[in-house]
Amino acid sequence: MRLRAVSAFAILAWLFFPFIFAVVGLYVFARPGAANPQLIYGILGGGLIGYWGVAYLDGGLTIQDERWNGTLEQVFAVPTPLWVILLGKVCGSILWGMLSFVPTVAVAYFGFHALVPHLDSVRFAVSFAVLTFSLLTIALALAPLYALWRWALPMFNGFEFGFCILGGFMFPVTLLPGWAQGVAGALAPTWATRALYASTTSSGPHDFALWWLAAAGLSVLYLAGALFLYRLVDRRARMTGELALA
Amino acid sequence: MSRPSGPAIEIAGLRKTYVSHRGTFRRTRVQTVGLDGIDLAIEQGELFGLLGPNGAGKTTTVKILTTLLLPDSGEARVLGLDVVKQTGLLRRRIGFVFGGERGLYWRLSGLDNLRYFADLYRIPPDVSRRRIAELIERLGLSGRERDKVEIYSRGMKQRLHLARGLLNDPEVLFLDEPTLGLDPVGARELRVLVRELADSGKTIFVTTHYMFEADSICDRIAVINKGKLVAEGTPAGIKRLVEDQGVVEVEVEGISAHHLTGLRGLPGVTSVSVGEHEMAQVVTVRCANPAELITQLSVVLSGIKLQKVSSREPTLEDAYVQLIAESS
Repeated sequence: MRLRAVSAFAILAWLFFPFIFAVVGLYVFARPGAANPQLIYGILGGGLIGYWGVAYLDGGLTIQDERWNGTLEQVFAVPTPLWVILLGKVCGSILWGMLSFVPTVAVAYFGFHALVPHLDSVRFAVSFAVLTFSLLTIALALAPLYALWRWALPMFNGFEFGFCILGGFMFPVTLLPGWAQGVAGALAPTWATRALYASTTSSGPHDFALWWLAAAGLSVLYLAGALFLYRLVDRRARMTGELALA
Repeated sequence: MSRPSGPAIEIAGLRKTYVSHRGTFRRTRVQTVGLDGIDLAIEQGELFGLLGPNGAGKTTTVKILTTLLLPDSGEARVLGLDVVKQTGLLRRRIGFVFGGERGLYWRLSGLDNLRYFADLYRIPPDVSRRRIAELIERLGLSGRERDKVEIYSRGMKQRLHLARGLLNDPEVLFLDEPTLGLDPVGARELRVLVRELADSGKTIFVTTHYMFEADSICDRIAVINKGKLVAEGTPAGIKRLVEDQGVVEVEVEGISAHHLTGLRGLPGVTSVSVGEHEMAQVVTVRCANPAELITQLSVVLSGIKLQKVSSREPTLEDAYVQLIAESS
């Protein structure tokens, strides 16, 4: 966590970028005539984009970070398994990522006087926990993928904001075409985000149990994939000797 | 201090090949031999040096022994543990330091680097606190441990590397070119420290390019070239390989390839190498009979100015140069 705290790029990702997104979102959704239920996308959307960005970049790049530092061999050769070390690092990143909500909620409250009167705090907390777990598992799966496949990083880089749309961070997924909704359904955060937004409004129908289960189930699948990929990284690194390469 | 008995490192028929690809559109598979069936046994408490030119297989050997690489075939055991199958147990008992400045978290302090790696080695907090304080003191980092690594000098970074390598109080320590890039004083301090560690009972496996370094600190050395061991023994024993020879050093200005060919053609000459010294070149000729060679120099090197001619006993470096030349 201390490494992240001294990274200018990470600080921008937690605080500055979410703030920009939140201001834009709030201007769009708080304009005269806009329906009030949409305002919540302005309040939380910027934070969600920041939170995802931290998980995707900070968390996903944990192995590459070690490569760039030249510390990957040192970390690899300790008794603690690599996936345990990276789990700690990704958890650290995710914890810092929660800071993304501070500037966005602050600008919503102080700048736009936006409130969430129908917040179901228990369901909101559970949905947020499920969302956090889903982002954690995605970051854990991306980290070995980036290390194994050199095309993965540029490819997912282009996908960063596409994911924000498919995840329903700034507007409901139901506004997307059918095929895109199908793709979105395979992403665990989409379900968690749906539950998160639903917990802020009284208008239903809401099926929280199904959404939480879908998000958690997909996350467990990502986790299984991640563990497989870590074994592959371990094996391939020791076969080819490419651990120290940038 | 008396040494514990039994081998700390055993290597039998170790082989490693690297596969890479050449070309952008027409990709061809290229195989490079890293190790070509080496056998080695190092006793506990021994300070062992592995010497060889770039690409000879030194780092490959260290990486296999530290569990970072898998061999293609052969067997390697460290402290009786298989480096392929018993990695978890082995990693707790060994330490390694690779040369160069990388391998540390530059944006963290030296102290934070050590604390972090102590956690990764699962050292209990009370033990790690005490050990880190001892290592900081012993390696001369006191007063600077809270500074960020990015402002450390090269020598301080290398001492911090060594502190990290010693965190788990390893029984076997691997040092891959530990004095690379250090100034003479820093390199000497590090050598003294390494010798002290060996005297305290640790087994140390060091790779180096510097012959005087191996000569001054190692109990035993091996020379590796193109993945094969070409000699093994004590530094004195390796030097004895060339004891029937002498070395003539000639300081000249403007020597040409033609002159060097002439020198190489003289009877009894085994190798000729050229180095730079200020504005002149120093030609080192290894030969069977230095006195006779000196009488022939003025003929072979006619037309150029001989500044200085001297004869000396062969060193470990001379033995090394000859071994590498013979095996190439």
